[in-house]
Amino acid sequence: MSDAKTHSIDISAMQRSQQALRIEDEKVCLSVNDLHLYYGDKEALKGVNMVIPEKKVTAFIGPSGCGKSTLLRCFNRMNDLVDGCRITGEINLRDENIYAKGTDVAELRRRVGMVFQKPNPFPKSIYENVAYGLRIQGINKKRLLDETVEWALRSAALWDEVKDRLHESALGMSGGQQQRLVIARTVAVKPEVLLLDEPASALDPISTLKIEELIHELKNEFTIAIVTHNMQQAARVSDYTAFMYMGDLVEFGDTNSLFTNPSKQQTEDYITGRYG
Amino acid sequence: MKELTTDHISQQFNNELERLRQHFLTMGGVVETQVQDAVQSLLDSNGSLAEDVKDKEATVNQLDGLIDEECTRILAKRQPAATDLRMILSISKAVGELERIGDEAKKIANLTLNLIDEGESPRGYVEINRIGQMVSRMIHDTLDAYARLDIAAAVKVAKQDRAIAQEYNTAMRSLVTYMMEDPRSISRVINVIWVLRALERIGDHSRYICQHLIFMVKGVDVRHMHINDLANELGEK
Repeated sequence: MSDAKTHSIDISAMQRSQQALRIEDEKVCLSVNDLHLYYGDKEALKGVNMVIPEKKVTAFIGPSGCGKSTLLRCFNRMNDLVDGCRITGEINLRDENIYAKGTDVAELRRRVGMVFQKPNPFPKSIYENVAYGLRIQGINKKRLLDETVEWALRSAALWDEVKDRLHESALGMSGGQQQRLVIARTVAVKPEVLLLDEPASALDPISTLKIEELIHELKNEFTIAIVTHNMQQAARVSDYTAFMYMGDLVEFGDTNSLFTNPSKQQTEDYITGRYG
Repeated sequence: MKELTTDHISQQFNNELERLRQHFLTMGGVVETQVQDAVQSLLDSNGSLAEDVKDKEATVNQLDGLIDEECTRILAKRQPAATDLRMILSISKAVGELERIGDEAKKIANLTLNLIDEGESPRGYVEINRIGQMVSRMIHDTLDAYARLDIAAAVKVAKQDRAIAQEYNTAMRSLVTYMMEDPRSISRVINVIWVLRALERIGDHSRYICQHLIFMVKGVDVRHMHINDLANELGEK
């Protein structure tokens, strides 16, 4: 007679809910193969290999200048806009090399949306901000726009706060609301991946927590990669964490293990505040 | 205070704290039955029930490990503050007490098996029954207080420990007297004495859990305080 059964306590179920995630079990959304990136002569990424799992939150941490933002920008080819930037290796978005010749970069950036540190709403109404990407795509039907705007604002946990003032200027919103508006604008075009570059570092603690909670909600629908200076934030929001240092990917693993028992001394030193 | 785990902006954090609390109470439930069954197996000379009690140790150990891990993870990932922090610290200590209560129950089960082997002790069952009931009650009330974050109940439970200590001393005196009169019974009576000792320890552990609960809710460390000062101290807070 099993003791667990006599108590109708399913310990293995309890343990399962605690088990570490395994990257091998995940569907791959983006894979990075031997990626080198040079700004002029300087090598900013020194051969990165990793995968970004589908519908999970992957966080990038590391000291300033370690290459985490650079890597994030590679995912939607934002680095193309930087003079003297050269890239070797490949990044596959669902088996399609995004650096292959003939890639439609505008379409890539629709599929891989990005949100920056400082909220950058357009000087338009709240509604028009969210509808912007759709209009660019040529969608002008009011009903479709209305529906998508509402859906995007709900996804960004903003609908209840702004539904009565959709046609007021977005610039009158608080910083935290603006950032969620920008996220709504990004998800409105239904991207597959959301890249968040320090999405909460210009916000107060409560707005930060709201954004974090939002990230947790959004991962049901999107694959999310987030760069953050705030290690605790990475610990709170992510499923997987990548620690980078001087252009190298030092350690990549599930967040619970990385923050309780990292496998590399360098990671340990960084997350415990012993270095840099 | 009931909303302790449910009012954070982060729903995730709420869930983690609530799960932790639930797991703790589940473990408490297992240990509570373990103690009741251990005493019952002894009173009924029921060997298979005693074996059951021993088997449950595996469950208790697993839960102990699980809860420890959860505490570690929450500390590492959430940097809890104030009540949240105290809750984690309190549970992580109280879990250790529960685990030891489980060990004592297992000890009683082993002694039951000894007594079944060697023959019943001529004395001591009345005392075991009485103290066993008091201790079971105490564990039950402790877990109840923990579930409801009820400080007043915790103080009351902590006071029960003194009654148990008195009963224990009385029982010891009478058993020692008996052994002096009938030295042939010593090895069997000693088994009973160890059972009483285990029960008395369980009472202590329950009291410690109450102290951890008071720390969690009020933020005062009452571990080294006399029981009468305790009520005053809490009244002021």
